Amino acid sequence: MAEPDKTRIDDDTLEDFFAAARAAPVAVSDDLVARILQDAAAAQPWAPAPARAAPGPLARLVGALGGWPSLAGLAAAALAGVWIGTAQPVMIEDLGIGLSARSDTAAAEGYDLADLMPGYDILAGGS
Amino acid sequence: MACPGRALLWGTDRKGSPRIVMGQCSSDLDGAPDHALLAAYAAGDLAAARVLTARLAPRVLGFAARMLKGDRAEAEDVTQEAMLRLWKIAPDWQQDQAKVSTWLFRVASNLCLDRLRRAGRNVDLDDAGEPADGTPGVVERMVAADRAAALEAALATLSERQRQAVVLRHIEGLANPEIAEVMDISVEAVESLTARGKRALAAALSPRREELGYG
Repeated sequence: MAEPDKTRIDDDTLEDFFAAARAAPVAVSDDLVARILQDAAAAQPWAPAPARAAPGPLARLVGALGGWPSLAGLAAAALAGVWIGTAQPVMIEDLGIGLSARSDTAAAEGYDLADLMPGYDILAGGS
Repeated sequence: MACPGRALLWGTDRKGSPRIVMGQCSSDLDGAPDHALLAAYAAGDLAAARVLTARLAPRVLGFAARMLKGDRAEAEDVTQEAMLRLWKIAPDWQQDQAKVSTWLFRVASNLCLDRLRRAGRNVDLDDAGEPADGTPGVVERMVAADRAAALEAALATLSERQRQAVVLRHIEGLANPEIAEVMDISVEAVESLTARGKRALAAALSPRREELGYG
């Protein structure tokens, strides 16, 4: 049987070296940890979500109407309705007076087409 | 320290729903497996990222430093890049895929090989890191530090593939199938690489036997 070569490192001895390397872990610097965690914060898909309370009555109403965009459209339609309801009767009134005046010969002499245009006096300088 | 009112990270919430629960207590997080920590991070828990960093970054840094022949700055860059890729894949991580550490070693390994191939360089290996506290005495500590330093120098003489296999097997403690996954080779190829690597290490260290306490 051959004598082991005592000038060579055998497997058991090599294991001592590995053990020494395992016992000397590389220390991670604070700077590197900070950089890694900065990346972690930046790469996080979303921020921690706080526990969400159940939606209130107003939120449920808004949701039932289709959300805030639908509510904005509804508000615009309501304003348009108010404008139509307040502005249109003035024109009809002027038109009505003008038309009814045509049947009255004496009064008709006091009207011309300009009187059918609301706000004309203001445009003309208020005279 | 107890964390009243908080469920375990990988447990259920107060209603019993089977979902990840935020683990704000370090005691909850410290015992959690890597994949649970990754899921918690993806769900918004930065404390989980801190625990994962403390757990994995030293291993990746040590591996990268050895792969890059002691270039600490490059090894830190590799570690940061590998961890960044981990953060990015977190939302899509499948629990049944590779272990987180195996996946991370694979990424770090590829990054190291890319850098080694971009710039072939020889780096002094005098800085082998500080020995850990807790060794019995000063002499033993110095001997251990000398052996660790000698091993680092000998590792640098190996081929990239041998060095990679030997470090993963004998220093990082990965099993051969895991190393095969990291290196994308067969288990037999891993065994062959580690065997040849160890023979080369023995040859490189043998002339220093007496100096290293084996006279």
